[in-house]
Amino acid sequence: MTYEEFADSRLGALLRYAVMLTGDPHQAQDLVQDTMVRVQLNWRRVARTDSPERYVRRMLTNQYVDWRRGSWARRVLLRGEPDVGVPAPTDHAQSAVDRDQLWSWLSRLPRRQRATLVLRYYEDLPDAEIAEILGCAVGTVRSSISRALATLRAEYVEAC
Amino acid sequence: MIEDDLRAAFARHETLTPSTGPVRAAIERTVVRRRRHRFRLRLRLGGTALALVVAALVGVPAFTPDRTVTVPLLTGSAPPTPTGALNVLLVGADGPADRPYRFADSVLLVHVPADRSRLYLVSLPRDLEVSIPGHGRDKLNAALSFGAGQPRPDLARGYALTRRVVSDTIGVRIDAGAVLTYPVVRKLADAVGGVPVCLPAEIRSAHTRRVFPAGCQQLDGAASVDLLRQRQGMPDGSLDRDRNAQRYAAGLLRRVDERGVLTDPVLLSKLLTQVGTGLVTETGETSLPALLSVATKGTGAAPVAMVLPVEYVEKPNYRFRLDPALGPGFLTALREDRLGEWTAAHPDRVTGLG
Repeated sequence: MTYEEFADSRLGALLRYAVMLTGDPHQAQDLVQDTMVRVQLNWRRVARTDSPERYVRRMLTNQYVDWRRGSWARRVLLRGEPDVGVPAPTDHAQSAVDRDQLWSWLSRLPRRQRATLVLRYYEDLPDAEIAEILGCAVGTVRSSISRALATLRAEYVEAC
Repeated sequence: MIEDDLRAAFARHETLTPSTGPVRAAIERTVVRRRRHRFRLRLRLGGTALALVVAALVGVPAFTPDRTVTVPLLTGSAPPTPTGALNVLLVGADGPADRPYRFADSVLLVHVPADRSRLYLVSLPRDLEVSIPGHGRDKLNAALSFGAGQPRPDLARGYALTRRVVSDTIGVRIDAGAVLTYPVVRKLADAVGGVPVCLPAEIRSAHTRRVFPAGCQQLDGAASVDLLRQRQGMPDGSLDRDRNAQRYAAGLLRRVDERGVLTDPVLLSKLLTQVGTGLVTETGETSLPALLSVATKGTGAAPVAMVLPVEYVEKPNYRFRLDPALGPGFLTALREDRLGEWTAAHPDRVTGLG
């Protein structure tokens, strides 16, 4: 597979994944951009792996988890103005608030926990694959998920 | 229940996803910029790597201490000295040994003629276009990287592929060789007590405040590395850098000869300890003591240095290819061990070593 073929077929999915991780389209774009630049510069190495897609997803996830070390985070912080271009939900007001609450609670989770939730409930990956992407044990994935869910449940209780 | 809410929340926010077109374009722009930067960086590092190659002029016969010293002493008989011309391939790898990507940015062929009158130093430009078995047409410097493999590069295999490519490209047998990594040159230059170099013009370091004046000077390890990194501001770019490395090689050989390092086991083992390991060497069928004696004889007269006659291909990929006018004749002379005649006929192609 060439880099162009890979980008043609996978860039959209990676952007969606990054949106779920960061919760913000601009941060998602920066995250994907930074990762894909490295992917393209090192394409030979990426293409040699069993699954380039999984390898790139792992690169992207690591980049996201290592927030402070990544240059994309610094660029985001320098941008200043928070994004206002988020399309307003068209649902009833109350349910929209509820939904946005869950979305904002997600942003308070530690990044690794958020990543496990995205991989589990958005990408629908099995625990073993999540563990591989995050580079940790399967047990760690399970405990991360249950801890993240517990945090969210607690928020629910408080909100009610 | 919360799981379902999560799934729904993720699905709902898919609409935030930016479109791929602008992202793709931004990636391309950054890659182009980054590549340009990396290219320049590699050119700078290449100079240092060539210094290591040059160091191997001494290193090839020297870097297996046990054999170098014990074989002649224990057997009591002189090892069979190789007759005929010898070609030694020196490959400079950029960076330390455990770096994932290794390029042979400096490839120097040392030709020892059958009459042992002197050494010929032939630089092969790293941007020379070659056929790499299994990888098509690429630059010469990529062979080391392809051969060494991932994720833990094996420089011995990288050397083997480079050797094959060089041998196929210029059509000569390679009798021995070595791969040198980044840190060795500094230690080597310091170990021999500095290296004399004569420069045709002043060079201002782009990396430090050093100014190397035109004329002859003595360089310690750090200054050696600095000089050999310099490429910018020179009229012929990387080829001028190759020529400086040849001048450095000549100075290093002279220094080693003056101090009798190769013939004095005590000095030699001291040098080996100081320089340390990290070298990949291959001597083929020729024994190290035999190579040692050849190298010692060869340093008697000043070496003659040149760059393989090439021409620049002024279109994407920007590689060198063999000069169609001079190249074939040069290679024939090299194969037939007539480099003395060739350099006499083409004095403008010989690097002035000062």
